[in-house]
Amino acid sequence: MRALLLLTAANMKSFLRDRAALFWTLAFPLIFVVLFGSIFSGGQGQRDVGWADLDGSAASAQLRAIFAAAPNVTLTDGSETDLRAKMKSGGLAAIVVVPKGYADAVAGGRGGGAATLVVYTDPTQQSQTAGALQLVQGVLAGVNQRISGQPPVVSFEARTIQTQNLTFISYLVPSILGMALMQLGVFSAIRLVGDREKLILKRLNATPLKRWQLVGSNVLMRLVVAIAQTVIIITVGVRLYGVQLSGNLVLLGALVVLGSLAFIALGYVIASFAPTEDAANGMTSVVQFPLMFLSGTFFPIDAMPDYLKTVARVMPLTYLSDALRQVMVDGTPFSPLWVCFAALAGFLVVCLAISARFFRWQ
Amino acid sequence: MTTRGSGEAVIRVDELRKTYGQTHAVDGVSFDVQPGEVFGLLGPNGAGKTTTVEILEGLRKPDAGSVRVLGIDVARDADALKERIGVSLQTAAVYPKLTVVELLDLFRGFYRRGRPTAELVTLLGLDEKRNTRTSDLSGGQRQRLAVALALVNEPEVVFLDEPTTGLDPAARRSLWDIVRALQSEGKTILLTTHYMEEAEVLCDRLAIMDHGRILASGTVSELVENRFRERSVRFEGIAGLDDARLAALPGVSQVKHENGEVVLFTSDVPATIGAVLATTERLGQEPRNLAVRRATLEDLFLDLTGRALRD
Repeated sequence: MRALLLLTAANMKSFLRDRAALFWTLAFPLIFVVLFGSIFSGGQGQRDVGWADLDGSAASAQLRAIFAAAPNVTLTDGSETDLRAKMKSGGLAAIVVVPKGYADAVAGGRGGGAATLVVYTDPTQQSQTAGALQLVQGVLAGVNQRISGQPPVVSFEARTIQTQNLTFISYLVPSILGMALMQLGVFSAIRLVGDREKLILKRLNATPLKRWQLVGSNVLMRLVVAIAQTVIIITVGVRLYGVQLSGNLVLLGALVVLGSLAFIALGYVIASFAPTEDAANGMTSVVQFPLMFLSGTFFPIDAMPDYLKTVARVMPLTYLSDALRQVMVDGTPFSPLWVCFAALAGFLVVCLAISARFFRWQ
Repeated sequence: MTTRGSGEAVIRVDELRKTYGQTHAVDGVSFDVQPGEVFGLLGPNGAGKTTTVEILEGLRKPDAGSVRVLGIDVARDADALKERIGVSLQTAAVYPKLTVVELLDLFRGFYRRGRPTAELVTLLGLDEKRNTRTSDLSGGQRQRLAVALALVNEPEVVFLDEPTTGLDPAARRSLWDIVRALQSEGKTILLTTHYMEEAEVLCDRLAIMDHGRILASGTVSELVENRFRERSVRFEGIAGLDDARLAALPGVSQVKHENGEVVLFTSDVPATIGAVLATTERLGQEPRNLAVRRATLEDLFLDLTGRALRD
């Protein structure tokens, strides 16, 4: 036990002193979170909306006041042309144009006339567009009701079912965590093959150390790093981008440990077949990129064409990321949680069996 | 723990064999090493020295033959053996990011008994480098660290595989001093080398290996002086002077050719030289670079294998 802990500490020291390892395991996933977080969290903050009033009536001024009172909205007045130019340069989320004759149309409203506002949005900014249209609809519903003087016959009450409020960043943070855990495990192959190639494994084998101590120290060190990754990624997601963590922490911990073990075992499988450190490097890339891109890391599997869905279904990372989303942010399950756990456990057992058969110590 | 009386071998190897595919890496090797001895396995790269040593260290399983180290049957109880031996492999790049002291402390922790790290650092002359990362050490320092790592558990037997390969002459000499110091502490040492000089200087006894076999063994004087009571007379080859004629010269026991030179082994140097001069004069020639030498391990190796030992 003492030897195991000493060796784990030595592994940890080596890891902490290895700048490249630190970058790939800690900084690299964070860069993803910050990068995507900054791009996709725009819908959450203040919304600038352009306001072009072509009617100039008391009724239109009243409408403006209602819009201006909506939460998180700042109105910018201007001509339609100016505002369109401003939106193109990224200064506005949407433009509302009040047509000439608005007051008259509203006045005749009880008689059956209607006014139509024009709302410009940018289809390339999906979250902004959805937010802006929602805002306009909400405000107009209130206005209509007031003008008609009657409550709507049919209304709705908004209730959420799991993903209703799942923003893209909430989708992404568990994905990035899954990716980071996968890389931590898979990259262990390079270190293992390097240690074998440099005869470090052989030298350790000439001491009374047992093989389970060698494997155990590597696994323990990586589990500690995995937990550190989890804490860091979640903290950044929650603090910087308002990701709402809603799951059971014990379940999350179990998932992080099981996922890490499964991918460390995959690292041993790679190390079983890579003759040199360079080969291990190459094989690691070959394994990690498909895992990264075909496991729903950056976009939901449901959005994939059917043949890619089939591929995603056999990717072990699919189940880790899916389960992480379910546990962390109540994401829509692609597979039930128990299936995810079973898939990861099964994958772990298969990798262990292959490593036990093919891993060479010298 | 095994007790052993004086004179009982610390290492006993009997008819050891190890085959890889078609290659007989170790092909029926037998020798033994006495307590407190420095024993050398001398031979070119690929002679089977390392394979032999790694079997003794419990790192490889033999195909046939028996190996006892400190009375322990290595094939059966390698774990018990590993507590009591020290091992220095050909490479020493263990945990490059750790410092000398960290690495020694780590290895010390693998064993039940041990020697204080500070003492080892001083013994191996690594005081100035105690907090240096092992990746930043010079070749000689690294090799000394490898030896230090082999000593952390106060081993009774120390295996040093090619301890001075790739070192400059000064670093090599400092390592020789360390080996002598270990011997004076009473340790039994088995080292492999392909340097003749190293074997002559360090080893009480040695075995010469080639192609997985031991060609000769004994003390240096037994091997060289007894076998080559004669000296060698050598000169550049002369056309028309055939071996049969040379062999018939007075005192000559053997005729060999080495790097374009004729080498005559003789028990009577003056008679042989006189005859060589008379013979060459009759051919209207003169022997160039005529020299007389005492036989060395080099000659022995050449004699045994028909080729020179390369660096």
